[in-house]
Amino acid sequence: MTQTASAAKKTASTKAKADAVVRKASGPKKARTKKKQGQAFPFTAIVGQDEMKLSLILNIIDPRIGGVLVMGHRGTGKSTTVRALAEVLPMIERVKDDVYNRSVSEFLDGEKPKRGVKALTPEDLTVEDIAVPVVDLPLGATEDRVCGTIDIEQALTSGVKAFEPGLLAQSNRGFLYIDEVNLLDDHLVDVLLDVAASGRNVVEREGISIRHPARFVLVGSGNPEEGELRPQLLDRFGLHARIITITDVGKRVEIVKRRHDYDDDPQAFLKKWSREQKKLQRKILKAKEMLPEVTMSDDVLTDVARLCMQLGIDGHRGELTITRTAHAYAAFNGDKEVTMDHVREIAGLALRHRLRKDPLETLDPGEKIERELAKVLGEAEEVS
Amino acid sequence: MIAFTNIVGMDLAKQALMLLAVDPSLGGVVIPAAVGSGKSTLARAFADILPEGTPFVELPLNITEDRLIGGVDLEATLLKGERIVQHGVLSKAHEGVLYVDSLSLLDSSAVSHVMDAMSRGEVLVEREGLSEVHPADFMLIGTYDPSDGDVRMGLLDRVGMIVPFTTQNDYRARKLIVNCVLGKTDAEDTEDELKMLRGLIEAAKEQLPHVSMTREQKQGLIQSAISLGVEGNRVDIFAIKAALASAALAQRTDVDEDDLKLALKLVLVPRATRMPQQEEEVMDEMPPEDEMPPDTPESEDQEQETPEDSSDPDEQDEQEETPDMIEELMMEAVETELPDNIMNISLAAKRKSKSGSRGEALNNRRGRFVRAQEGEMRSGKVAIIPTLISAAPWQESRRKERKKKFGAVRTALVINKEDVRIKKFRDKSGTLYVFIVDASGSMALNRMRQAKGAVAHLLESAYVHRDQVSLISFRGKEAQLLLPPSQSVDRAKRELDVLPTGGGTPLASALFLGWETAKQARTKGVSQIMFVLITDGRGNISLQSLYEQDVPKPTKEEVQEEIEALSASIFADGIASVVIDTQMNYLSRGEAPKLAEKLGGRYFYLPNAKAEEIALAALA
Repeated sequence: MTQTASAAKKTASTKAKADAVVRKASGPKKARTKKKQGQAFPFTAIVGQDEMKLSLILNIIDPRIGGVLVMGHRGTGKSTTVRALAEVLPMIERVKDDVYNRSVSEFLDGEKPKRGVKALTPEDLTVEDIAVPVVDLPLGATEDRVCGTIDIEQALTSGVKAFEPGLLAQSNRGFLYIDEVNLLDDHLVDVLLDVAASGRNVVEREGISIRHPARFVLVGSGNPEEGELRPQLLDRFGLHARIITITDVGKRVEIVKRRHDYDDDPQAFLKKWSREQKKLQRKILKAKEMLPEVTMSDDVLTDVARLCMQLGIDGHRGELTITRTAHAYAAFNGDKEVTMDHVREIAGLALRHRLRKDPLETLDPGEKIERELAKVLGEAEEVS
Repeated sequence: MIAFTNIVGMDLAKQALMLLAVDPSLGGVVIPAAVGSGKSTLARAFADILPEGTPFVELPLNITEDRLIGGVDLEATLLKGERIVQHGVLSKAHEGVLYVDSLSLLDSSAVSHVMDAMSRGEVLVEREGLSEVHPADFMLIGTYDPSDGDVRMGLLDRVGMIVPFTTQNDYRARKLIVNCVLGKTDAEDTEDELKMLRGLIEAAKEQLPHVSMTREQKQGLIQSAISLGVEGNRVDIFAIKAALASAALAQRTDVDEDDLKLALKLVLVPRATRMPQQEEEVMDEMPPEDEMPPDTPESEDQEQETPEDSSDPDEQDEQEETPDMIEELMMEAVETELPDNIMNISLAAKRKSKSGSRGEALNNRRGRFVRAQEGEMRSGKVAIIPTLISAAPWQESRRKERKKKFGAVRTALVINKEDVRIKKFRDKSGTLYVFIVDASGSMALNRMRQAKGAVAHLLESAYVHRDQVSLISFRGKEAQLLLPPSQSVDRAKRELDVLPTGGGTPLASALFLGWETAKQARTKGVSQIMFVLITDGRGNISLQSLYEQDVPKPTKEEVQEEIEALSASIFADGIASVVIDTQMNYLSRGEAPKLAEKLGGRYFYLPNAKAEEIALAALA
């Protein structure tokens, strides 16, 4: 280890320790953001892998896109990129100290006056701004920590059945990231599928009964060689980005160089990239603000529907995803009108994993989408 | 205990360990070696050359998830009445060494956790009501016997160096080892030598920040990684770090040929997936020089000479020569190292985990701990924390109740039968390897022998792992199921011995038969299936001609189409494959790689594959 590197490592480790201590001191009851602020490798400094980066950005602009699955080669920066995401995320407003990150309206949802007690109104609540949470779900997580469970400490000491929220609570209105998602245990996959479908987490165990909102952008990454994803889970992801080994020597030299610079002096490196980071952040924020104004003509919509039909995509989730993604992409580019050019750019991302598995089909999904897209556009030209 | 310096042989492994000691950010060293080569002795002796007090934690194979990751220390928790956290083995190795003997036998979920900790440098504990982050920045030393199977590629990807496969030491060396074990070496000498070595490493650590590498040298290494088909970009960093550490050990400020060679041997070549193509251009896409100046690390108050300015004319000359040199040099490294290690490690065949296996039953004894459920105390292992949790809310009322009944209450906790929670586990199921062997006339006789040998070897390993093996051969008009899924080694061997060669190549028929066999095995509960194809991929007999007598002879294209369609179906069905190409280099028209691609499997070109190595590849 170089001296500088070892020094850096030491700082990092003491920091980690300090983090752990703080966490302990604040106790599990307080809401907390997990990320070490300002420590991750800058998102904008990641070389290449544009498909993955774009997918993540589009999901920030419109969380309803439904997340992204990143599959590809080992050692290509999948998890680095996702963990870098936290730094370019915008802020959201939540009810102060709320463990479920609820907005005021979510908090007051179902609020009714009870015997003699007046119902809460927005005026009764204080709010605070927090960064959109990015929550890591490690493979070794147990079900109780994911869903939340009874707080054992309180139960043992005072006999109170208090609920201790889990990772699903923390990730409400944020991102939930699972590295090696294809290796996730089946029972956790079941939990995720249920929650992702309903947007609520329902806990009925150890004599407690709790339900809380759990709407998150699901981000998964993995190497397809290590195992396959359950089809139901695959279907849950809005977008599917592929990532491959970069084979351009120049780019790889640059990757090595940036990594070296970052390891050598993280603070200086972050400073160097802070302008780029802020620029991207602003661009995302602008796109987010613009999104409601973005429109899509009926012609484009028809073409999209026709494309999905030609590709034989079941259900409406495909159409919905491609439409939302195209809107977000247009907004990201500063365009107020979605065109087929926008659709073309994101069609692969939105549809790749939704093509019916035809064992006799030899065409790559991307090529197939491209081909059908050309057909649709060709027809469109003929008609007009 | 044998000291590092007294271990004879395994020189490359020692070199790797020393580089790691100089730069722990190399991540670790994996040492594959046969039984009795002294690999684990060497790994344990690694502690000798590390600074005193460096943690050295051994990870036992039968470790449970909570011991690995960490969790609640029950005894202390009960004693203190508040939650006391126990760090797991991963975190105990922080800033030290995590050692795994028989790494290839480590449970796959444990491997995942080690991988995860290595990529984060910390462990996320989200278990049983606990949510913490523990630091876990360690070096991984793994040793294993390749005949036990292979180490997962994902894990190897996070380990900087992989030592080429070594078999046994020679007689002389073994004798010395024995002497060492018996304590017949001079203890004082040993201590002196160790001191020297530690001094050397300390000096190298100080030297390391002052070592520089030219941009061309870096490009050369990266180009080598690309031409060897190494997956991912992480290796570049490891290769560069290894070269720098090697130069630092030699107290140089510049990286030279030997350093690069060592980096190739320890970092890149063991991960090769193909032979480099000589005609590949070395630097076709070089970015403009001014964008990225070569890094010469800033050196603070050092006693060593400052590194030469990179604009030095001498070095410029050198720079121009280096890339070609590396390409040649790599060829040499490949030629000498390939037969020994590539097949053992980088052939790790791809495994698909079962998908959609929701109906899998949970059991009370074996496998991975999934959840706790109510149950009888004697019916399985008691899950203590969940039991406590379920008992906790009632403590106050129970204590009161007891007080009423018995007067004073002496127990701190009152746990009733209905509180007991039993751990539920998910069992791991075995793998079926379907060996599909080309026995057509196009297989030269000697390659057939290798194929036979490989199957025999595989059968032996499969027996150890309790995996199942099936054997299909194809020649003439039709493929034949020589052995249905079985664990009987002797029967398979007998079948193999009498397998003749010659005739056409009904590859499609073989794939079809393999698929049928796989489907049948599935109904019997086998979830993981892998095809191991030993062939040149040149099918020339169609399935159609087998069932319909009167059709005209199919064209080459039709036969190929049939094979491709079948391969795609097999891939879509979730069957993993590995294709081992036996075609001679100059005859190849790329049929086997195409086959592998359609099957979504790995492809290996092994003109001189030895039986044992093919077997290891398949068992990965």
